[in-house]
Amino acid sequence: MAGTASTPKPVAPVSGSDPGPELPMAGQPAVPFVEIEALRTQQFIPAAKEALTDLIAEQGQAKVIRPVFNWAGRNSLFPLHWGLACCAIEFAAAFGARWDAERFGVVPRSSPRQCDLMIVNGTVTWKVAHKLITLYEQMPEPKWVIAMGNCATGGGPFRTAYSVVPGVDKLVPVDVYIAGCPPRPEAMLDGILRLEQLIRDRKE
Amino acid sequence: MGPEELQQALAPALGDRLLGVEPFAGTAGRVRFRAEGALDLFRAVLALGFTHLSTVGGIDWVDHREVFYIAWSDDRKQYVLLSADLPADAPHIESATPVWPSANWHERETWEFVDITFDHHPDLRHLLMPDGYEFHPLLRSFKLHEPEELEVKTRHV
Repeated sequence: MAGTASTPKPVAPVSGSDPGPELPMAGQPAVPFVEIEALRTQQFIPAAKEALTDLIAEQGQAKVIRPVFNWAGRNSLFPLHWGLACCAIEFAAAFGARWDAERFGVVPRSSPRQCDLMIVNGTVTWKVAHKLITLYEQMPEPKWVIAMGNCATGGGPFRTAYSVVPGVDKLVPVDVYIAGCPPRPEAMLDGILRLEQLIRDRKE
Repeated sequence: MGPEELQQALAPALGDRLLGVEPFAGTAGRVRFRAEGALDLFRAVLALGFTHLSTVGGIDWVDHREVFYIAWSDDRKQYVLLSADLPADAPHIESATPVWPSANWHERETWEFVDITFDHHPDLRHLLMPDGYEFHPLLRSFKLHEPEELEVKTRHV
């Protein structure tokens, strides 16, 4: 099924408004589309289906499908776009141009209903505690929580204060703790990557 | 405007409820008054041109409590400090909100932290603490709690 590979045309001299030589991508594909489609429907899909059916029959559905979901989930984490205290500055810096957390598929969303990751970035007071729980409950399953910084991890310097929750794990289950006061953006990216490891190894 | 002027201006309205005016650095004077004369004093001070109530606060002196008001006059470019001593047992004073509406949140905060009740306050509830918080944390009798203990007592928030 070798196609008719077109030989590149001789380069014409550029002059005036002449757009120049035609780009190689703009030409006909090396293999005609009809042949690719026929190959896909008649050979590849039946073969893949058969292989997948055999694999599921042998190892069970959960074991085969779960890694696919984990792979998709860990590469498209959507953290809630909010800030509680000074850690939010580092949170913002991590999504800026220099550290660019989006290259790990992490994009902050402004609505908890579109999120699966809550990064608690700052001191949690008792006043804001029930709002935090509300936001957490609005997030669809499956969802994860990262406690960013010493305050969210254990209350930090305000641990015995009259108004501060001594660790956000008193309110919601936490998956990854990031130390620092505040953690640098590199530490935050490290925490996100560790969370991605957790999701990769998720069994259920 | 100095302490003597302040005394002369406020004495007619307050009588013996005005305990005295003493010099206080950076202000026109520190007016000490009885809590019963609070609303009359506020009106008299407002009539002198102190239109902006800058802050309200309280101090716990263990044997008694003190409530203070700091007002600013744009015309005179001066502050004035008003303070009254209240009993340690159930301290209360008339709210300044009819005279200075900006007293509203300041008095909520003062009530919340040093437990001074402001009578006829339009909305005396917690400002910085969650509803149902049981402590008045800036009292001298307040002890720092172990985190676990505090958590149990405020769990219902």
